[in-house]
Amino acid sequence: MADSRVAGYAEALFAVAAAEGDPSAVEDELFRFAQALRSDKDLGSTLADTGLPLARRLQVIEDLLGSRVSAVTTALVSMVVGAGRAAELPDIVDAMVERGAASRNKTVATVRSAVDLTADQSERLAAAINTRTGRDVEVRVVIDPSVLGGVVTEIGDDIIDGSVRRRLNQLRESFR
Amino acid sequence: MTNRWNRLLAAPLLALLALLAFAGPASASGESVGSCMAEKLEELIEESHGDLEEVLHELHVDTSIGDHFEKNCIEAPSPILPETNEIIWGGSAFLILFVLMVKKGFPAVRGAMDARAEKIRSDLDAAEQARVDAQSVQSDYEARLADAKTEASQLIDEARVAADQLKGDLAESAEVDIAEMRERAAVDIESSRAQAIADLRSEVAGIALGAAERVVHASLDAEVQSRLIDAYIDEVAGTDG
Repeated sequence: MADSRVAGYAEALFAVAAAEGDPSAVEDELFRFAQALRSDKDLGSTLADTGLPLARRLQVIEDLLGSRVSAVTTALVSMVVGAGRAAELPDIVDAMVERGAASRNKTVATVRSAVDLTADQSERLAAAINTRTGRDVEVRVVIDPSVLGGVVTEIGDDIIDGSVRRRLNQLRESFR
Repeated sequence: MTNRWNRLLAAPLLALLALLAFAGPASASGESVGSCMAEKLEELIEESHGDLEEVLHELHVDTSIGDHFEKNCIEAPSPILPETNEIIWGGSAFLILFVLMVKKGFPAVRGAMDARAEKIRSDLDAAEQARVDAQSVQSDYEARLADAKTEASQLIDEARVAADQLKGDLAESAEVDIAEMRERAAVDIESSRAQAIADLRSEVAGIALGAAERVVHASLDAEVQSRLIDAYIDEVAGTDG
């Protein structure tokens, strides 16, 4: 039931973004906001708190996103929060991104890095993944300081870990 | 039976002999002392041919004649035999009494004696039986006492053997327990030592890795991060050589 609801909301968000003309940019903005919700538990709980007036929660969204993202992105987030599904927003966004990539015959590659990748690096990484796996991917970068350095790429169930954290863990295991 | 009748017949004969032997002097029956002395005096007068004076003189001179009168007249003619009528009456009474005794008294006495003898015999038998029973009870008691003593001695021996066995088992069990405890203690000590070494190694590794992480983090500036990403891209693409 939960999966079908998430898929339904994702389909709706994708349809709205497509209708507005630039679904890829909206997907990217929603993806970054979803990662922010995952990393900031207080923000997620605040938006999901039905004890707070809806206007207050929408005002928080407006304050956070109003000047940073497109109006479509802000409106979609407000719609999901207003429907009382703020806790499921990250999963809805993931499903929407997957849906958008699939509409372009691509697969989402979630890239974790301590710093953001440049556009050139993202394109070269997508090409490298295509070369290695044969799959055409869209790179979605998640800023994760715990990686320390390097990149961790997740494509479905496949993980390509080239992070400094992994090397330190390997070093830790070698001490045991 | 015959012996008893002989004794019954001998009894009255003995009584008769005793009566004759111990009968006291008795005066002559139907004859007074005076008439006797008068008769003797007449005999003396006849011997003196009727001369009374001579007789008196002789009596006066010879006092033995007077003594002879007194002796023959005062004393009974027979000191043993009673008078005939006494014998008849006494014998009749005795016979009557004897017959009564034989016919009536003796069977009753004999029945009483037989009953008494039978009772005494029965009492003796009962006493003997009681004695035998008591002796049997005593023998049984002594036998049971002996059995009890034997059983008690056996129980004591068994208890002693069991105690010795238990003591041995406990000692053996204690030795086994001590050996197991020593073995467990050795294992625990070895485990603790290994754990301590592992903990120390982990602690040292953690410290070293923490220091390395801080050094790496400090050295990861934007240029290094960019080079790490580029190196990763080249590695994924398989062009890193």
